[in-house]
Amino acid sequence: MSPVSDLLSGGVHLALPVLLAASGELISERAGVLNLSLEGMMLTGAFASVAGALQSGDATVGVLCGVAAAVLFAALQAVLSVTLRADQVVVGIAANALALGATTYGSRVMLGDDRNATVPSFDELPVPGLSDIPYVGPALFAHTALGYAALALVAVIGLAASRRTGLGLAVDAAGEDAETADRSGLPVRGIRYACVLLAGLTAGLGGAQLALSEVHAFTDNMTAGIGYLAVVAVIAGRWRALPTALACVFFGIAQALQFTAPALGVDLPVAVLVMSPYVIALLAVSGLVGRSRAPACLTVPFARTG
Amino acid sequence: MTAPPRPAAASASAPGPGASRPDADRPDTSRPGTARFSPARLAWLRSPVVLGVPAAAIAAGVAVLLVIGSGATPAEAGQALADGMFGTDYAIGVSFNGVAVLMLIAVGFSVAHRVGLVNVGGEGQLCLGALAGTAVGVKLGDGLPRALGTPLVLAAGFAAGALWAGIAAYLKVRRGTSEVITTLLLNFVGIGLVSLAVHEEALLRQPVTSSETLPQSEPVASSGRLPLLDAATSPATIAIVVAVASALVVAVVLRHTATGLRLKAAGRSAPAARRAGLPVGRLEGGALAVAGGFAGLAGAVLVATAPYVLDEGLSSGYGFAGLVVGLLARGSLTAVAAVALLLGFLVSGGINLQIAAGVPASTVQVAQSVLVVCIAGAMRWTAARPGGGAR
Amino acid sequence: MSAVPSLTWRAPRARPAPEPFRGGAAPDEARSSGADRADATVTLELEGLTKAFGATPALDAASLRVRAGTVHCVLGENGAGKSTLCNLVFGAHSPDAGTMRLYGEPYAPQRPADALAAGVAMVHQHFSLVPTMTVAENLLLGTGLRLRPPRRELLGELDAVADTYGLSLDPDARVDALPVGIRQQVEIVKCLLRKPRLLLLDEPTGVLDPAQIESLMATCRRIAEAGHAVVLVTHKLAEVARAGDEATVLRGGRVVGGGPLAGIAQSDLVAMMVGRRVAELDPLLAAGLGLEGARPEGVGPEGSGADESAVDAAPDGGGPPAPGATVPAAAAATSAGAPRAAALAVRGLTVRRPDGTTALDAVSLTVARGEILGVAGVEGNGQSELGAVLAGSLRARSGSVELDGHDITAAPPARRTRLGLGVVPEDRLHEGCIGELSVAENLFLARLADFRRYGLLDRRALNRAADEVVAAHAIRTEDSRAPMRTLSGGNQQKVVLARELALDPLVCLVASQPTRGLDIGAVGAVVTRLRDAAARGCGILLISSELSELLAVADRIVVMYRGRALGPVRTGEPGARERLGRLMTGADA
Repeated sequence: MSPVSDLLSGGVHLALPVLLAASGELISERAGVLNLSLEGMMLTGAFASVAGALQSGDATVGVLCGVAAAVLFAALQAVLSVTLRADQVVVGIAANALALGATTYGSRVMLGDDRNATVPSFDELPVPGLSDIPYVGPALFAHTALGYAALALVAVIGLAASRRTGLGLAVDAAGEDAETADRSGLPVRGIRYACVLLAGLTAGLGGAQLALSEVHAFTDNMTAGIGYLAVVAVIAGRWRALPTALACVFFGIAQALQFTAPALGVDLPVAVLVMSPYVIALLAVSGLVGRSRAPACLTVPFARTG
Repeated sequence: MTAPPRPAAASASAPGPGASRPDADRPDTSRPGTARFSPARLAWLRSPVVLGVPAAAIAAGVAVLLVIGSGATPAEAGQALADGMFGTDYAIGVSFNGVAVLMLIAVGFSVAHRVGLVNVGGEGQLCLGALAGTAVGVKLGDGLPRALGTPLVLAAGFAAGALWAGIAAYLKVRRGTSEVITTLLLNFVGIGLVSLAVHEEALLRQPVTSSETLPQSEPVASSGRLPLLDAATSPATIAIVVAVASALVVAVVLRHTATGLRLKAAGRSAPAARRAGLPVGRLEGGALAVAGGFAGLAGAVLVATAPYVLDEGLSSGYGFAGLVVGLLARGSLTAVAAVALLLGFLVSGGINLQIAAGVPASTVQVAQSVLVVCIAGAMRWTAARPGGGAR
Repeated sequence: MSAVPSLTWRAPRARPAPEPFRGGAAPDEARSSGADRADATVTLELEGLTKAFGATPALDAASLRVRAGTVHCVLGENGAGKSTLCNLVFGAHSPDAGTMRLYGEPYAPQRPADALAAGVAMVHQHFSLVPTMTVAENLLLGTGLRLRPPRRELLGELDAVADTYGLSLDPDARVDALPVGIRQQVEIVKCLLRKPRLLLLDEPTGVLDPAQIESLMATCRRIAEAGHAVVLVTHKLAEVARAGDEATVLRGGRVVGGGPLAGIAQSDLVAMMVGRRVAELDPLLAAGLGLEGARPEGVGPEGSGADESAVDAAPDGGGPPAPGATVPAAAAATSAGAPRAAALAVRGLTVRRPDGTTALDAVSLTVARGEILGVAGVEGNGQSELGAVLAGSLRARSGSVELDGHDITAAPPARRTRLGLGVVPEDRLHEGCIGELSVAENLFLARLADFRRYGLLDRRALNRAADEVVAAHAIRTEDSRAPMRTLSGGNQQKVVLARELALDPLVCLVASQPTRGLDIGAVGAVVTRLRDAAARGCGILLISSELSELLAVADRIVVMYRGRALGPVRTGEPGARERLGRLMTGADA
């Protein structure tokens, strides 16, 4: 395969967990809740999916465990930021520390003996014919079953989030003007709870995808910042579905470049590639590339006065 | 509609060192005939200290469970933790060095906080400060007196951190971009820059002599290092003195000068401050830059402390921990000192926990974040004033 | 109950209706049967409703009955508890005590969604529309959480509303690009689409011109005739006379009177609202309540007398200072050079809004020393922008502003202040003062350098200086160290005025809506201060949407209409009010 094809395919594969997490986070931010804890949700999802897969011997059960754990973790974020109206930045950072500590502890205590055991995971299922299409084939049609499911889910979320649907309207109303949404009879807190839990679901799935489809193991802090990267993708995508997805793929390609750069004859320090997504997001958000506006009620908790 | 929520911690008194305290408020509410939940009567319950106790109890309870889960006894673990925190002069010294770094970042955070900005970028600013401190420090001649060299290193750190935050300040003032997002993003760029610098010989990496050469800088020249407080017994440097002095100066400026009042005015209502002729943009930009400066200073302090080199793991999350200190202290510099002490000592205790008792060090991280989560969750309750209808 | 049209456009938890709209037939159907029962059915019944925010009761054991088929007016001054009452009925607040019944059944909404589900809709004073969404999207928000919003049905229903009530809207316009008058129509249509049994309108006329008010009142009548009930909350009596059937008057959170409007004289309503005899009222204050049209006998003579004296006080600008008043140094200096010195001269000022529309269109006006120049007009015709440009918070595209001969077109606020321009901003709490700072800090925020001692802030001197101002301006506060937000609106405005009037030199004061939201006593205090300042030689530009108030205070009045300044009209001229009214609606333009 050509280096370019490798790059594209590697980029999409690396982007998939980020894309999953970003899709839920996009909805959540549009509803007004910033989940910096996305990193923690992904890590939780990765750990629980590996633990579940090892215990049951079945990768699918592992995925379910991962998603369940991440949703539970997201519920913590939801209770704190929606009901208790805590500062979303503090909660996010603290929750990430909690997830990092807990999964590290968990892997010492629970996975201690199984560290080197083979984790039941997903195999790639290339679609015959389609996966041979030059460049696009390996990128889109050579995923695991979980990977295809993830792509489908992302597509559904992207469509449901548009303002053409009632759900998308309700979500945007809660994030743009919570008081008006409330006075229009929309359950603002309910919407926000649902959106945060959805972010947990997709982030957990993203963690499972990372652990069971890509790495086939759990290592300490294995997400290593890609949860933050998903938040950054939403910002760089200016809170719109398609640009967010493109940002994710771009970030994936930047990561893949670390491995394929020599083959392409490019000599870039790894650190430059690692930094590039953040620089791009910075340019996007500072209005140097296009105009950008965050949802008006992002990180503003909602409560009726009195 | 909703009765004022009782602090969740009070009822869930988990077994642990602090478990006996939360019951203190019981007689007050169980007495028949007294007005329930009258705001005045329960006002003292809103004190952060009262909430801190049950929150600490929950965190301790979680920690005990984790300790038991890993096969150690709480007594063993407690002993190891205490040893790591206060057991030896060495331990205390290490703890104080950590506390100083946290304090500096949180002091800066408080300055920006006063003008209504949230500086999430401590980590990145710390990295830039460390970079600049190293760049200056490795170039200093050994003949230079310390009284000159050390301030140079620290000043370089402060300036670099301030410049780094200045990017976010510029975007905030000129383009109205949220500083939460820009400073967050700049963190990762800052971390990347450190990684870049220590991997490239053309930048700060020490000369590569073999394949074993670590990706780190040369050590800072001895004239640029922080003097020890008491060279004989403890690794504690004058960093803690610098941090406490910074906190004092900032406290006086914020509380007792016209500048402090102007910052507060701009933070509470930018339009009204502008109307009164205050240079709101300059106040915001300046405060954010100073916040970055203090974080940069913390970075310089780190490289001017043993082992005196810059490497990728230099920060190990100090920036985020400092942010948490600042957020929990909410503008009170007394609280900054107290929270920094608590978190700083816990971290160094955790390392010994793993070495001495075989309990994963992450236990402390978990307990610490549970503590932060509890306090963050109860923040509205402590902030709410009777009759204050804040949205 | 069967006469009431079923609620098809309802809150999320209601059963999903297969056909969300029933077309325009429902109101007709209801009108015939509703009219018979108009007197028999009590739509809303409040019993001992109490709500306190902190220690102060906003509503104190209020009871009232609203009958189906009527427009029920709830009257009261600002702070009388009217909005609180609305919010309790709409479920935005929960009562501390008391009960509500809707069509005889117990009614205790926990949230707005409950109220909507029960058929109660509310038009909010400051609107509840998402600005970044289109009209159609805002209207669809009420359809609850569904995957496919009923866009086509919405369009059909909009046509029906247009037929029935004469309210037609462009569904694809973005709300933030619409003028306030249209936004209010969107808000009303949003309520009508739900086919409410009870419609609450909270101060709906503040942003409308006379013609729009007329049509809103007609809409209210039509809704009532359809057998529903309308609760119209207002502090203006003219509206009540036009549309109301019954009234309830609130004062200080208590119901102090009410009944069928046919049986109550307007003067009695006013007496109930303000707790004083109408005859004792300053005519200016009566004017503020919209009493002009039907002013009872007792007020007339005194009123006109006072009006004339106000005009006489400073006929051409630069009138003789009142005895004992000190003439500012700058005023004396300039008036020596030019006999009729202009305090403020605005030439060809043009301002565009961010959306590209023209806010100010080549506005020119001159304020002479000692003169009060009023700026009238329906809100949204450029007055806010005029105030903002003069204050220095908004840049003009072209044109110039001169203060006492100094060009201040591009000057930052600090320089304007130094040259002697005082500003009372429109948005008092947002721009005028800082709620968390103390009264003393607010008073001297711009002059902190005067209170320095050893490089530190001398708070004792600051507070001492503030105490003097507080005493001199009769500002009611416990302490000059009390946070600004603990003061009443009127006292906050006194602080802002005291600060701006203390400028030295003071050449001109731009006051935007300085009496908005103040109770009667505070309005009097503010107006007295403005008159005193003018008498001392200061030019005053008074921007207000209360025409009657301007007629009573100003020497000349210009009217803002679609960004242009029309007039001026001398308030002393016969027929001034009628002429201004025509200018405000663009009839004379």
